[in-house]
Amino acid sequence: MLRKLLLLAAPLLIVLALETLFRAGLWEPLARPDSHAGTSVRLKRMLTSADLTRVDYVTLGSSRPLYGLDHARIAASAHGRGFVHANLSMPGTHWMTIGALGRWLASHRPEVRGGIVALSIQDFSWPGNGSYELGIVQPFRAFFAVSDTMPYVPFDGSRIDTYGSRSALFEWREDVRDFARNPGKRLGTLRWYQRNRSSAQQLFANPESEGDMCAIGVTALSACDRTNDMDDGKSRQLAGQCELLRREATNRFDFRPAMASASPPERMARIRSGVERALRMLEWQETPVVVLMPVPALWKRDVLGRGQHEWARAVLQPLVDEGRIRVIDGTDFFSADSDGGCSAFFDFYHQNASGRERFTDWLLPQLETSRQ
Amino acid sequence: MLFNSVHFVVFFLVVLSLNQALRRWPTAQKLMLLAASYYFYGQWEWHYLLLIWFSTITDYLIALRLPRSARPRRLVVLSVVVNLGFLAIFKYANWMIDTFNMSADAIGSAWHITPIDLLLPVGISFYTFQSLSYTIDVYRGVLPPRKNLFDYSLAVAFFPQIEAGPIVRAREFLSELDGDRSLDFGDVRYALVLIALGYAKKLVFADNLAQFADPVFDSPALFGFWDCLLAIYAFAFQIYCDFSGYTDIAIGCALLLGIRFPRNFDYPYASASLQEFWRRWHMTLSRWLRDYLYIPLGGNRKGPAHTYFNLVLTMLLGGLWHGASWNFVIWGGIHGGWLAIERATFGRFRWWGDDPGLAARFVRAILTFHVVCAAWVFFRAPDFAHAASMFRALSKPADALDASRLGALLFTVCGMFLLQQVGLRLHYKERLAGRGGIGFVLCIAIAILAMILFAPAKTVPFIYFQF
Repeated sequence: MLRKLLLLAAPLLIVLALETLFRAGLWEPLARPDSHAGTSVRLKRMLTSADLTRVDYVTLGSSRPLYGLDHARIAASAHGRGFVHANLSMPGTHWMTIGALGRWLASHRPEVRGGIVALSIQDFSWPGNGSYELGIVQPFRAFFAVSDTMPYVPFDGSRIDTYGSRSALFEWREDVRDFARNPGKRLGTLRWYQRNRSSAQQLFANPESEGDMCAIGVTALSACDRTNDMDDGKSRQLAGQCELLRREATNRFDFRPAMASASPPERMARIRSGVERALRMLEWQETPVVVLMPVPALWKRDVLGRGQHEWARAVLQPLVDEGRIRVIDGTDFFSADSDGGCSAFFDFYHQNASGRERFTDWLLPQLETSRQ
Repeated sequence: MLFNSVHFVVFFLVVLSLNQALRRWPTAQKLMLLAASYYFYGQWEWHYLLLIWFSTITDYLIALRLPRSARPRRLVVLSVVVNLGFLAIFKYANWMIDTFNMSADAIGSAWHITPIDLLLPVGISFYTFQSLSYTIDVYRGVLPPRKNLFDYSLAVAFFPQIEAGPIVRAREFLSELDGDRSLDFGDVRYALVLIALGYAKKLVFADNLAQFADPVFDSPALFGFWDCLLAIYAFAFQIYCDFSGYTDIAIGCALLLGIRFPRNFDYPYASASLQEFWRRWHMTLSRWLRDYLYIPLGGNRKGPAHTYFNLVLTMLLGGLWHGASWNFVIWGGIHGGWLAIERATFGRFRWWGDDPGLAARFVRAILTFHVVCAAWVFFRAPDFAHAASMFRALSKPADALDASRLGALLFTVCGMFLLQQVGLRLHYKERLAGRGGIGFVLCIAIAILAMILFAPAKTVPFIYFQF
């Protein structure tokens, strides 16, 4: 009888064993390096590499700080004081990643003493950034910590893309499917990244960010149609962003009445608890500095929820009052520009090199004074 | 309720547990299965349960009366009229109205009939044939009428088969119900292998192949030679994996409940002739058509010309059974016509006889496969214009074959075609469930992993649910 039961249970045990191996990182060496999850894996590998002897400060955040901060200058400034400051910002990062990465750093890089959390007021619109953020978090997730993901991407039985919040096999399935379609191409890309992408490039340097919105002529949503006539990669990307922004613009949420209400809607309660949860995970010696990255003027004017800036500050204020975080608000940094800031951005989200330098000139002295 | 839904998995586990718990009380067990079957069907559209009940009670009463009737033929005709009448109303009425309206347009007549707003009841083609087989068998004297209404109701509505078969004749089902329904561990393993492979065939193969086939069949004019060829091959294996996957799940579930269903597929693409194909594809439908249509029409007993006519007519009606569309009629016509050609020419050459040798058999399998594929174009295309467009694309010069399409072609044609050839010789399902256990464990584990990793995010309904 026992043998029969074992035989019936054995297939499930094999699946569970593989789930455990996937959670432990079995698939990570094969992950697509240019995907969200693959970027996360590469970052994890750099952080666990013996070459990186210590990390004192980190920058956590999305693609906005990835392009919008001069990481080389920030690292050089820290280096001048005898510290190492690494840039860990990744495209797609939202509060879930901040929390999971904060927890992972506490156990794997306990020497980290402080850092920057750089997101924008747009990241206070929803509790999560969509199920694709599960891929970013996966390599940094604690083995059994469902609580790292559930508040941000709740499990939904009818949506297979949310199963990744509970299972590493499901989380990696798109990557495995992509690998199975063309294994040769994947192995080639992995080799290319191994040869051409160093830790220094990722952690202490700036990515390329050429072009500006004024030159392209897309300074407002109403000008989006211009992208239809252009046929280069950048215009196609802009057209995609236009589409997304137009959709958001048609459904602008008004945060103001709910902020005044004693019982805010569930969405706002979840945003607040998600942000608080993530920031409380950062148990650093020095107070984390939350930088609200600049947004082009048209975001506030045409796209974001009404009162969203005030809402973001209201979410952060209790943590400021507690002394848990310090906030540097750069949201309107380019708003005073006569062109609405369009010359500082290469697309609707990201600053170009000029915008990056202007913002870093303003930010860096404030960061230095905050360091003890 | 779809087999490929979490709802069904939970439902089946509950039914399986109750079935085990009630095994000492067969009557209660059967009533539970009947209630579960009606619940299963009612989840789709409970109003149409009335249709099943009406059909069940009519055939039950007719069968009871048949042995004592002075005019039994009239009673059987009544059963046929009632069952086929429902089928005609729900499945064919709008098709006939459309055909009438198109003919009226063609001759310039203003006469038009408004189509009826009706939802096609799921599984109506299947349970109608099952129910018909009962009254005809009782009429022929090969089956005594069933006195217990619940037993017969379960034969019509048993949930693993009601939506898309296999078409289990009442006499087969009732003898299973009366017989020893206990299972040994080998049965359980075999059932689990069937269920796991069935789900894997559907979710891993059929649903992924649909992503190749669907866009091309929907807009063939946008695609070139290779894409159209690939789509046809992809659909050939999609429909096999979809339907045989469904059948495997149905047979496995029924077996776990103590009911043995007849086999429905036996590596059909390994067939060396179309006649052999129909002995291996949807075998329960082929048997039904043979026993209740082809043989009563005279079969092959009235000379060659009559035989060819019977073959073509049987296949035309078989095509029409699948759906109310001229494309299905053409599909049946191709099969019937080719079967007639095969019959007329069989044995004229050594390679075209009973013992052709391995190489000739392989070449014949390739030929048969392509005849079947040509017919699938009409089966899958939404209308005649789309099917014609597919063939037009195939008649154009071939465009360049890139690496990804070559890979897909090798996978679908060579991989799956050869798998059929090998499967026919190895009988892997039986082996995997057999002694030892390693094969069983690996088979189930790999099937589950393949489903987790490779099933597309979007669930595609089983193809045969529309019939």
